Amino acid sequence: MKSLPKLRPTAWDGLVVLFVAVAALGLAVFQWRDGASQGLTAVVTIDGAEADRFAPAELLESPRTYSGGGYTLEVSAAPQGEASALDHVKSGGETGVRVTRSDCPTQDCVHTGTIARSGQSIVCLPARIIIRLEGGAPDPDGVDAVLG
Amino acid sequence: MKLTTRQLTLCALLTALALALSYLENLFPLSLAIPIPGVKLGLANIVTVFALYALGPGEALLILLARCFLGALFAGNMNALIFSLLGGLCAMTAMVLLSRRRGLSLYGVSIGGAAAHNCGQIAAAMLSLGSSAPLYYLPVLLLVSLLTGGLTGLASACLFQGLRHTEWRKG
Amino acid sequence: MSRLTAYVLLLVLFLTGCGGAVDPDEAQESIQVIAMDTAMLITTYGECSPAAAYACEDVIRDLEAKLSRTDPDSEVSRLNAAGGEAVEIGWDAYSLLERAAAYSSSTGGTFDITVAPVVSAWGFTEDSFQVPSQAELDRLLPLVDSSQISVTPSPDSNGDGPTATVRLGPGQSIDLGGIAKGYAADKIVKVLQEHDVPRANINLGGNVLAWGDRPDGTPWRVGIQDPARVDEQNAFAGVLALTDSFAVTSGGYQRYFEEGGKRYHHIIDPATGYPADSGLSSVTVVAGLGEGDGSGFPGTMCDAYSTALFIMGEEQALALWRDETQWGEEGCPFDLVLVTEDGRVVVTEGLADRFTLDESSGYQYEIAS
Repeated sequence: MKSLPKLRPTAWDGLVVLFVAVAALGLAVFQWRDGASQGLTAVVTIDGAEADRFAPAELLESPRTYSGGGYTLEVSAAPQGEASALDHVKSGGETGVRVTRSDCPTQDCVHTGTIARSGQSIVCLPARIIIRLEGGAPDPDGVDAVLG
Repeated sequence: MKLTTRQLTLCALLTALALALSYLENLFPLSLAIPIPGVKLGLANIVTVFALYALGPGEALLILLARCFLGALFAGNMNALIFSLLGGLCAMTAMVLLSRRRGLSLYGVSIGGAAAHNCGQIAAAMLSLGSSAPLYYLPVLLLVSLLTGGLTGLASACLFQGLRHTEWRKG
Repeated sequence: MSRLTAYVLLLVLFLTGCGGAVDPDEAQESIQVIAMDTAMLITTYGECSPAAAYACEDVIRDLEAKLSRTDPDSEVSRLNAAGGEAVEIGWDAYSLLERAAAYSSSTGGTFDITVAPVVSAWGFTEDSFQVPSQAELDRLLPLVDSSQISVTPSPDSNGDGPTATVRLGPGQSIDLGGIAKGYAADKIVKVLQEHDVPRANINLGGNVLAWGDRPDGTPWRVGIQDPARVDEQNAFAGVLALTDSFAVTSGGYQRYFEEGGKRYHHIIDPATGYPADSGLSSVTVVAGLGEGDGSGFPGTMCDAYSTALFIMGEEQALALWRDETQWGEEGCPFDLVLVTEDGRVVVTEGLADRFTLDESSGYQYEIAS
């Protein structure tokens, strides 16, 4: 035996516990303040091939446009308040993504509104464009798939 | 580091024990109670703690490496290696440093080790996924490590208590 | 003694290794496919997840090439263009015709693939919507009769090449769109089995295959779109907790057009030639994958029944459910979630413990037995 360890908890142990707990809480508060959208990535697929990948907040500066099948979509960041108005499950004020303009005939992509949760997507069938949110905070209350 | 036959045997025994404990805890996955990937009791950490005090850091590292490689080899999954290796090495480093502090008991060392283990695993997940998303699990994992670290600390304390009067340490 | 210990240790090592710390949940592949007129999302887990996901895509593309009504080279298009002449078809089209005949008889003709000419008259095939005249419907309705299809299996078929020859009635055409996605899901089950995929979440445009469970060990959560709030994402009538199950929803809100202030949706009742008006706003059919050899077609069945039951309405749908649960010989028990136009959600009892009503939807919740 190199050295005999102490077998009963000491005050110093409390310090370790405190340190770990503070680190955990600090990190949690930091992430919470940062918003759940941190780590959320929007992936744009055009005709089956990945065309772009960005954090929704990047759109705050300027919207981006994507073209496919002869149609063009304008994708913007959805301001915080607006996200929760469309999203009846409270989205916690994170930055979402929406299609603001499209010259496609169905306009389904525009009508889809704002997506702000991991796993949600906006689909434009005529343009064969899919915008999907990935990553971000795991959401045990979210759904994995939607029927209908 | 020169090992006597007895020390080598002890190392082998502890490696086997660590592997057996990893297997055991897979039978009762803690993730059923706390649904977060990566939540584990970390029973194999008891062995690391024990080896650290009974044999020394070098031997403990040897056992840890053997456990990680053999575990991944037998599972036929080398992807899992980076997880157990990074986690194990972080835990090891933390525990070596903490065990030098005279004031700390086994509990403090174990809890520190468990917390560091989780940090290492999250780092491995971030590396292999190429995304910072796993970081979101860390706060909860750290809180859980207080509990699991406390439990493994208790188990090691019982172990040392039980071995207090035995003759095995002369060697 | 020490040698004995060493042997014992060696044994322990080998016994413990096999269970090891594998982490199949970290490996994941997610691909998006636009096919069969819809957006599909395939997410597979496990070591073989990329190969499995792309194999699923191959299955879908292959079926689309065979079954599409808009691709003139597909088997279905050739059959529709043959004007009553015999056409050779392969295994997939043959299986689908057989299934379609079975579902047509079990639903009393409510499910019928020969409704295609009427659907085209409404413009749902080409997206050029119009309300057809009653005279035109009267002319087309006699063509809706799947008993006029004659299928002759080839005697020496071995999987490759033609499996059967088919002859439609004069003027008839068929549309397998109502079961093709469900059939694709059934084929995908085999792909997942072959690739040892532990868990997967396959969404074929509203046909959901929940394979295994979620990485966190809980069932997949599958939301049923609230038909009254179609414009909102995450507006659900309720959420299903599913493992190893298929679920398909049919609803009039999915595709429709408006003319003269009236809304016409895409689910045409073969009996009237008009969009079904049965008091239901959506029907969800859920079936387990079942045990055994996997020779059943639960996905195909769900797909066919969701359409047929939507047309039938609540009373007949529940009657069929009771019959099939008690007497069904097809071997696929199923359950239902019906959303009615008068604000109720009716769930059959087998599903009650896996369904959670979305309180904010305001629906009244009923359990049918």
